[in-house]
Amino acid sequence: MKPRSLLSQSPTTSLKLTTGCETLDACLHGGFPCDSLTEIVAESGCGKTQLCLQLSLCAQLPISNGGLDGSALYLHSEFPFPFRRLHQLSRSFHLSNPSIYADHNDNPCDHVFIQNVHNVDHLFDVMSKIESFVKNSKTRLPLKLIVLDSVAALFRSEFENTPSDLRKRASCFFKISGKLKQLANKFGLAVVITNQVTDFVESSDGLSGLRIGNLRCLYSSGRRVVPALGLAWANCVNSRVFISRSDDSICQERREDDERSGSSYVSRRARRRFDIVFSPYLPASSCEFVITGEGICGVR
Amino acid sequence: METWRLPLSSSIRGKLISAGYTSLSSISSVSSTDLARDVKITESEAFEILKMANQVTGSSSCNGRSSSLVNGARNAWDMLHEEEALPRITTSCSDLDKILGGGISCRDVTEIGGVPGIGKTQIGIQLSVNVQIPREFGGLGGKAIYIDTEGSFMVERALQIAEACVEDMEEYTGYMHKHFKASQVQMKPRDILENIFYFRVCSYTEQIALVNHLDKFISENKDVKVVIVDSITFHFRQDFDDLAHRTRVLSEMALKFMKLAKKFSLAVVLLNQVTTKYTEGSFQLALALGDSWSHSCTNRVILYWNGDERYAYIDKSPSLPSASASYTVTGRGLRNSSSSSKRVKMM
Repeated sequence: MKPRSLLSQSPTTSLKLTTGCETLDACLHGGFPCDSLTEIVAESGCGKTQLCLQLSLCAQLPISNGGLDGSALYLHSEFPFPFRRLHQLSRSFHLSNPSIYADHNDNPCDHVFIQNVHNVDHLFDVMSKIESFVKNSKTRLPLKLIVLDSVAALFRSEFENTPSDLRKRASCFFKISGKLKQLANKFGLAVVITNQVTDFVESSDGLSGLRIGNLRCLYSSGRRVVPALGLAWANCVNSRVFISRSDDSICQERREDDERSGSSYVSRRARRRFDIVFSPYLPASSCEFVITGEGICGVR
Repeated sequence: METWRLPLSSSIRGKLISAGYTSLSSISSVSSTDLARDVKITESEAFEILKMANQVTGSSSCNGRSSSLVNGARNAWDMLHEEEALPRITTSCSDLDKILGGGISCRDVTEIGGVPGIGKTQIGIQLSVNVQIPREFGGLGGKAIYIDTEGSFMVERALQIAEACVEDMEEYTGYMHKHFKASQVQMKPRDILENIFYFRVCSYTEQIALVNHLDKFISENKDVKVVIVDSITFHFRQDFDDLAHRTRVLSEMALKFMKLAKKFSLAVVLLNQVTTKYTEGSFQLALALGDSWSHSCTNRVILYWNGDERYAYIDKSPSLPSASASYTVTGRGLRNSSSSSKRVKMM
């Protein structure tokens, strides 16, 4: 066994996948890192899936533009999959980056592979096939990003609250994480996993309020929340980011004219907050963004 | 060695053995008067026996006492001197160094555990840089082995910490040699990265194979002074339905690490995760891998949050008192926390 030379990469930074938004990239020092598992924790409706869809498209950008020059595998466990939104984002992505697709006459959606996952056993099954998929696929762009949206939905119904079931569940977490990290290391993939939140309930042993990371408490929509799946899952990921929204941070009331009906309406957008909870190389920081028709857009 | 091998007359030999002096070590610790009285021989005969015993053992002490009864044993006085002379690896946080007795000690296995995001990987990277501080600056001038089981090691972070270390050394040289021509710090950040032997393992079998291989690797790279495993737990929390098997594998691994530490006089630092343990009717936080693993390390440090500050607590140590100290993780690595008023809290 030989040690890996740390200076073999030049420059000595790991490859990062841009989020497509400058503000988020600044927080992340370039984007989501390769050969690493990053978890996005957020309440439903905060923009996890939007960010993941955007990442799946950005992966196709050339490396000089912050992409990975590769395709994405989107494993989704929550239904329905937002196909229409993916097409909408894909159209504007195609318009802004025509050079990637001009020579081959394809479009961004051709490089996002979608696979639904029903439960944990199905996920193990799918993961065992990923390696042969990467090696044997004849696709133009190699696989460079795996998105799992979301991991919490897989564990929602199968496990009881008994100690033995919790142990089995924890063992599953480490198995999933171990397998994904192995794939990430072997093929240099970036892996992004989304997770849900549950309401914070004070328990007698004080463990539900255990502080993990830079934020003492996580707040979203005005109430205190904790990431789902507990301490065991927190040990399985390399980095964790938290997206939250607060009802009162609404910005940009714009009058827009609807072409067809001729009436005008006001659109409101809630601001989202993006926090780094823990990471092996990032300092604690946060920023704000909104979700527009074209995707995620940072706010100064 | 047995007394019946001594060239004595059979009657004296018989008296010796029936009095209970069957081995040379029992004769060597007794004076000739006592021997004569016990065995019922004359004092001159007893003296002859002792002289013969001394010649046979080849011991040079004149009063018949030998300094080592068992091959390879050392006395505590020699060991104390050796331990005091052993260098320690600084953590760059003087409060933390203070509770550790000066830093991470070589020849010991130290376990450091804490919740995710508390700074375990940061301590690991800081130690792998600090072990390389040259002897002129009070360091060990050694190299590091970093075994990464989780993929948390980021090269850019190691480079950032290495640059800060070199800057600190240059500042120190400038300060100390104000009036003289400052000698240049020879190390560059890239050199520091080159001296970290980085291994990535992706399964527990790889981890075991690597640990078995370390003896040979370190024999070929004698200047390795620290082995860091980040983390020791990750691959052992899956796939082990038979916990007894896991305990066996883990204790074997712990034994190998201890042997490495003693044989090559290096420090072994094992980073661990925390888990909830169901004891006395409630869930409590404990370091992972179970109770039997907790015996495998010499020293144990637990990292935890106290309000908005990170703290380290000496949980188990044969020589250090229980104490806790705060630290922070900055862009330059581990440093003292800014709340400088209250320092080391003795328990």
